[in-house]
Amino acid sequence: MSGPLAGMRGIVLTQAWAGTYCTELLAFLGADVIQIEVLKRPDAWRGSYDSPITGRLKDLPTAEHSWNCNFLYNSVNLNKRCITLDLQKPEGAAIFMQLLPSADFVAENFSPRVLGNLGIDYEAMCAIKPDIILCSLSAYGHTGPWSNVPGIGGTIEPTSGMTALLGYPEGPPMNSGQMYPDAVAGFNGCAAIVTALLHRQRTGEGQYIDLSMQEANLVFAGDAALEYVRTGRQRPRTGNRHPAYAPHGIYPCDGIEQWIAIACETEEQWHALQQVLGHPPGLRRVQFATNSARKTNEDELDVAMAAATTSFNRDELIRRLLAERVVGAPVHDGLEVADDPALRERGTIVKLTHVEAGTWHQPGIPWYYSVLANPQIRPAPLLGEHSAEVLAEFLGVGPETYGGLVAAGVSGMGPPAGEGVQP
Amino acid sequence: MYRPDSEPRPWPDSREAAVTEALSGVRVLDVSTSVSGAWCSRMLADFGADVLIVEPPAGHPLRGEPPFDDSGQSIAASWFLANKRSVALDLREPWDWERFSAFAAKADVVVSSYRPSQLRALGLEYEHFDDPRLVLCHITPYGMTGARAEDPANELTVAALSGWASLNGEAARYPLKPSGHQVGLCTGTAAYAAIIAALIHRGANGERGQEIDIAELDVMVSAASPAILRGQYLGTPVPRRESVDITSGPVPVADGYFSLTISRAHFWRDAMTVLGLHDLAEDQRWESAWYRAAHRDEYIDRVGAAMSTWTRAELFDELAARRVVAGPVLTMEELRSNEHLAERGFWTETPEGTFPGAPFRMSATPWRLRDHAPAQLLPEAGWGE
Repeated sequence: MSGPLAGMRGIVLTQAWAGTYCTELLAFLGADVIQIEVLKRPDAWRGSYDSPITGRLKDLPTAEHSWNCNFLYNSVNLNKRCITLDLQKPEGAAIFMQLLPSADFVAENFSPRVLGNLGIDYEAMCAIKPDIILCSLSAYGHTGPWSNVPGIGGTIEPTSGMTALLGYPEGPPMNSGQMYPDAVAGFNGCAAIVTALLHRQRTGEGQYIDLSMQEANLVFAGDAALEYVRTGRQRPRTGNRHPAYAPHGIYPCDGIEQWIAIACETEEQWHALQQVLGHPPGLRRVQFATNSARKTNEDELDVAMAAATTSFNRDELIRRLLAERVVGAPVHDGLEVADDPALRERGTIVKLTHVEAGTWHQPGIPWYYSVLANPQIRPAPLLGEHSAEVLAEFLGVGPETYGGLVAAGVSGMGPPAGEGVQP
Repeated sequence: MYRPDSEPRPWPDSREAAVTEALSGVRVLDVSTSVSGAWCSRMLADFGADVLIVEPPAGHPLRGEPPFDDSGQSIAASWFLANKRSVALDLREPWDWERFSAFAAKADVVVSSYRPSQLRALGLEYEHFDDPRLVLCHITPYGMTGARAEDPANELTVAALSGWASLNGEAARYPLKPSGHQVGLCTGTAAYAAIIAALIHRGANGERGQEIDIAELDVMVSAASPAILRGQYLGTPVPRRESVDITSGPVPVADGYFSLTISRAHFWRDAMTVLGLHDLAEDQRWESAWYRAAHRDEYIDRVGAAMSTWTRAELFDELAARRVVAGPVLTMEELRSNEHLAERGFWTETPEGTFPGAPFRMSATPWRLRDHAPAQLLPEAGWGE
């Protein structure tokens, strides 16, 4: 094992994105993350047992079980071990409590009442392991009048103030293209747990962390919140614009879905941009002569910029802008990100082979340490892939006992015995 | 708006005993000039570190960023530089360099946003600190290695190269970067976690520090992981939304906008019942996502029309009572007076007025905006004494 948290272990009950991303980041820091999944109702990001296998995986002979072939689950659960337990069965809850002394931290993102209903809330965990760190990630936190209101990224974005800030100038409020509040909660959950691990190292004391996705996201809109508090103004939606500089936008290039991001932070860059674009008359106007004039006339500026870039080849234009030190980049879609040679060279994108879903290019570990090697990247686990291994390693459960747990529907690698749907 | 039947779960008792800040005694020197660096050191300060910002003589760039409050102070500077102390130094001047070195000798952590060439030019490479305990974190747009390390960049180009811009906005219009300073906030938070992990490692391994290289682009690519893998499995990139309707985000209601995210069968049944669309509620075919996607023209307009007569609060209350996931688009004015956030004590009073509070609550180690004014300029000496 390597990474700064090597030797630390999380036994986590995380699911979907916010929680699983939080614990994936901890695994990327080197922690041994053992994720407990519920056999009866698989993680929503694995899909249901009767979901079809879709897309390019349909013709892949190794792709046998849809719940092991979901791009959602497989994208945010790298470097984990996965065991299954039915926590509603007394044997399942008992096994969780027997595993707990081996854990440094626990994370979960059930609805607030679930852990208590299962008899494994923070107080119960402390009785077994007094210095345990438990992080609960929930929609609105575990206290307050909305604590039992359900929420997901697509509804936390509006209720945290984020949605009101995203959109085209003069256009309606928009959600992000991909449940962004979950990622925000994941980063913050990871930050919270490492803070608690440091405190435990210094004092021996564990603690409880209550992470409200609404609050974490409102903090990420904190400058707009502070603007309201200080001035009484709701910040308007400004598309791609910067509060100080212009141009600062995304403009069309030649071809379908070919876009370029360009920003001029200095007059030198503005002059260099005009030169690269061949001094188009539309940009050589007095109302664009200075940055403050461009900010004042930004609507017209953006129209003129779009007219000036639209016939250029995107990648050729970027090459020439960067040579002149203008701030710019192509807008890459997800496939282009996966194919980006610079990202592959740096290790941002890594090639990973999943035993069922095949070989794909996925985002890897987003930091590098000078003394420590990053942990080797491992693909997302199959459902229950490490059940037998983990129960043997920590509880000395032998094959026969494990077989009994599978037969009783307490653990296993697919739909519970007798209740399953054939894949 | 919504009150549950049962009592909220009580906070664990240990909160009463909260006295120790997690990072008390940790000294941080922040020489960065980016939002990601500023947010990283803001989090370090909020959890108890003593953070000193080294500003260029012209001041931290955020001090000049609009909008400004009535006293002429930048809102962004007030937010991102809060809770820290500050000293203005020109690192190319020998006298200032000497003062900087005196501060650096006391630091546990240095946060930098300089590219490799800038770092070399200033002599801020790790070896020059000559302190094996030091954690030096480089937070840059594209990282300290790789083909883009020296390219001009900002949060817009990171949004473009990470895939995020391609996802946000409408299919028929230009892509949108995430709002505000999201790139800086995600990266700052990830860098905070990476630094704390390095301090844990230092504590467990003979006080050995090290360098960290964290790139805004790598962090935002990581945060786009689901879309990046989805595109490959399906063989086509994830598109931006075709139209504004309930499948894509908030839609207009009587007094604003409202998101109704149908991710489970019972959400559909219960939501359609609340909206009085009983035929849609009772026909089980509508409960599956693929059926709705294939027949969207048959229900989208009806659902939108039914929602348009409701206020956000009424609809949220009715749906929450049935445990249907839904969310009104709230403004900052509404969040400032929101009873849930008020009861949780989210908003924080400081000598500088009210601030948004903690991103998460820790029972043993408090989050705190301390008493001194945000980014108070440090007098001669005095840091870490």
